[in-house]
Amino acid sequence: MKQTRRDFIKTNAIAATAAIAGVTIPGVKEALAAEEKDEYMDVRWDKAACRYCGTGCSVLMGVKDGKVVASQGDPDAPVNRGLNCIKGYFLPKILYGKDRLTKPLLRKTDGKFDKNGKFEEVSWDEAFNVMAEKWKAAIAKSMEENKGKPVDKLTSRVGMFGSGQWTIWEGYAASKFMKAGLRSNNLDPNARHCMASAVVAFMRGFGIDEPMGCYDDLEHADVFVLWGANMAEMHPILWSRLTDTRLTKAGSEVHVLSTYEHRCFELSDNSMVFKPQSDLAIANFIANYIIQNKAYNQDFVANKVNFKRAVTNIGYGLRPKHPLEVAAANNGYSANDPADPEKNKGDPNKMDPMTFEEYAAAVAEYTVEKASEMSGVPQDQLLRLAKVYADPSKKVSSFWTMGMNQHTRGVWQNGNVYNIHLLMGKISEPGNSPFSLTGQPSACGTAREVGTFAHRLPADHVVMNKDHRAYAEKIWKLPEGTINGKVGFHAVLMHRMMKDGKLNCYWQQCNNNMQAAANTNQESFPGWRNPDVFVTVSDPYPTVSTIAADLVLPTAMWIEKEGAYGNAERRTQFWRQQVKAPGESRSDMWQVMEFAKRFKTEEVWPEEQLAKMPEYKGKTLYEVLYENGQVNKFPKQQVTDDRGNNYGNDEMDHFGYYVQKGLFEEYRMFNTAEGMPKKGHEMAEFDTYHKVRGLRWPVIDGKETLWRFREGYDPHVKVSDTVAKGAVNFYGQKDGKANIIFGPYEPPAEAPDAEFDLWLCTGRVLEHWHSGSMTRRVPELHRAMPDAVVYMNPKDAKKRNLRDGSEVKVISRRGEIITRVDTRGRNRPPEGLVFVPWFDESRLINKVTLDQTDPLSKETDYKKCAVKVVKA
Amino acid sequence: MNICGILVHAHPEGFGAVRERLLAISGVEVHGVSEEGRAVVTLEEDDEDRMAESMMAIQTLEGVLSASLIYHHREDDNEAI
Repeated sequence: MKQTRRDFIKTNAIAATAAIAGVTIPGVKEALAAEEKDEYMDVRWDKAACRYCGTGCSVLMGVKDGKVVASQGDPDAPVNRGLNCIKGYFLPKILYGKDRLTKPLLRKTDGKFDKNGKFEEVSWDEAFNVMAEKWKAAIAKSMEENKGKPVDKLTSRVGMFGSGQWTIWEGYAASKFMKAGLRSNNLDPNARHCMASAVVAFMRGFGIDEPMGCYDDLEHADVFVLWGANMAEMHPILWSRLTDTRLTKAGSEVHVLSTYEHRCFELSDNSMVFKPQSDLAIANFIANYIIQNKAYNQDFVANKVNFKRAVTNIGYGLRPKHPLEVAAANNGYSANDPADPEKNKGDPNKMDPMTFEEYAAAVAEYTVEKASEMSGVPQDQLLRLAKVYADPSKKVSSFWTMGMNQHTRGVWQNGNVYNIHLLMGKISEPGNSPFSLTGQPSACGTAREVGTFAHRLPADHVVMNKDHRAYAEKIWKLPEGTINGKVGFHAVLMHRMMKDGKLNCYWQQCNNNMQAAANTNQESFPGWRNPDVFVTVSDPYPTVSTIAADLVLPTAMWIEKEGAYGNAERRTQFWRQQVKAPGESRSDMWQVMEFAKRFKTEEVWPEEQLAKMPEYKGKTLYEVLYENGQVNKFPKQQVTDDRGNNYGNDEMDHFGYYVQKGLFEEYRMFNTAEGMPKKGHEMAEFDTYHKVRGLRWPVIDGKETLWRFREGYDPHVKVSDTVAKGAVNFYGQKDGKANIIFGPYEPPAEAPDAEFDLWLCTGRVLEHWHSGSMTRRVPELHRAMPDAVVYMNPKDAKKRNLRDGSEVKVISRRGEIITRVDTRGRNRPPEGLVFVPWFDESRLINKVTLDQTDPLSKETDYKKCAVKVVKA
Repeated sequence: MNICGILVHAHPEGFGAVRERLLAISGVEVHGVSEEGRAVVTLEEDDEDRMAESMMAIQTLEGVLSASLIYHHREDDNEAI
């Protein structure tokens, strides 16, 4: 019988789903075999890494007549195996919002730039002219201020705020422009807000960044523990893999720790709602339990770890005059100048060595009684959790995201969870995996690996280290002593310095920090609107940030350019340019490189620096940085795939060489070249990544690495006198030993009191990603979750005479928003805590939050401050 | 025409009730389910807005542990059906 076309397509849908589900549906195969599959003949399909979260799913994008018309989960992708989450389904639509920016916009009055003027369309030339004038004035002032200073004391009045959504080469081009060209370390990514705590904990514990395990642990583990991650909503594809294991593997369990109930609790076998900040006590209790019961891996503890004690009383990253900082003994602040990291106060990063016995004594106070009392979690549940970690026969994977990273003691808490895994030796092998997930598609690939932080250079190198600077100067062909050795302003400090007039030019790309940063009213907004500050924002869409900017640059997004992302499991993935960007919008990389043409070396480097390489006199930064024989090494070519399709590359057309390839190959000299100071980040050649569904670094001889630090899995670990077959060597540390670092419980910066009587926790929801500047453009997503509500316990609502849907004010000491109460939603807070998502630009919850950070990672704690909720 | 293939995960022991809830959503059919609780579901809904709402409804349905989109096809109805 001849099928209708509708029947045929439906049969296709069933067959594809059944194949992924592993279910046999009678008759489907036969029905498909009877028809030719022809419906995609005129659509060009190609892979791309998803634009949204840090999972790094591969999606197939269908392009017809220069426009994306379809998408599907990529069946060949090891990450998502043909699955897509709902945000992936709407991916094509984010390119085609009606309000895409297509021309540069500058605030003007009477034809001239005016900070208080109205936005007018201008040419790229005029935009860059005005911007360059401002930047040059600020740089001239910095050069004056830096006269006679050593290279590790240099300051800068210009800065850039980048993104974990930047492609790898965009981040690299920007880092080179700021750090090599302008000698400014005031470069930080929005990733500071999302995983800086994870980074610092990796560096302290293991001496090298990023997880040792990979997503394969989702199938290998017996037990999953979520320590502050709502994977069901934030990483749905990983959650579906986890769910599959839980439902198919005998004896597998899921333990969920959170400060409120969310969707993961539906699968949970041990659901624990703990009081904010008490996760520190819970982790230390587990370590104590393992030691008290002598369950620890004695050989591992004796040979593979060192014990350290973190210095305490480290403050909360607030402004220096805040009473909490005055009281903090070891916050690292100078008594005189907060912006100057001359550390008059004790160093918060300090760790003192201790013995195993001393560590055991330190955690001994965290008994089950104490942990239960502090956290509110019943003792039997805490014991059940401790027992799965302590059972050597159970493979345990721990996952966390913002609940643990956005935490004023986030670095300690990351460390406390590593401590548990290290005590048991449950690390660096299939299924035993402490795993920090990321929120952004290239938080790892760009922000961390390229090193677009205020203290970093590519591949884990840092500006404070003279040898690292010298290595970077050699690769970048710079005069010796060019790279500034002083750590620049981090994300939160940037806004404070703008408000204080010490950072005068600020360029934001690929994110929405006016909405994302905490304490909008007191820091972000006054900083951006300070008359002495010139703010440029590059974005595809109007956002809260573009509204607050002085110059707006229209930006090509995602598959409108050739790109690369690195996901949370160290997987580097490339895509080709699929479509053209609308109007005059240009990629971030194009913008940075074009802007570099506006600067002559003598305008940014002092004479004595230029005298070391006089051949650079009279040259532009563009010539020195990008036409250096390396970045411009690969000539223009036609981009194709192995199926014979052709693709555009607008940057290659404009600059006349294969820019992406040149930047990536130069970047690779930092992580793969002979004689580099830090091994372990090796990557494959540029062309390889266009052919594969990503590779997990280190990539040695074309092979990726799934589990790092263990002989048999990681080619960097070889059998030796100290390393037995199948044993670990934490080679990021000189002695091959990881650090177990004791971080105790310390109280939060602000807790509820009589007046502000509720905890406020902020975060994301499934339908919207981050600030919503992309997802709120998709009408279907917007309709599903149009406005941010305040999720509240029904008892708390009743106490305040509120009902579901009541209009209320959420008020803190810093600001307020008006919203509606939701007591029946999928997020169910306990009494005493409310949750507000932060995607809604009409209800900016960051007016309410506190700009507190972990003093080590400088990452904001968005999860804890005190508010009251009253009828509006 | 607007057709999706969706993989729905649910606890196998309670799947009967989940199936009823799924079928209450307009345009949903359940074609099969594995012993482990992996169900093959299609959603057919020509109106794009309603399709999105139904997808959201499946995602947040009581007893559904996760729902993933596998396949999506959309084309204008003036083509031969």
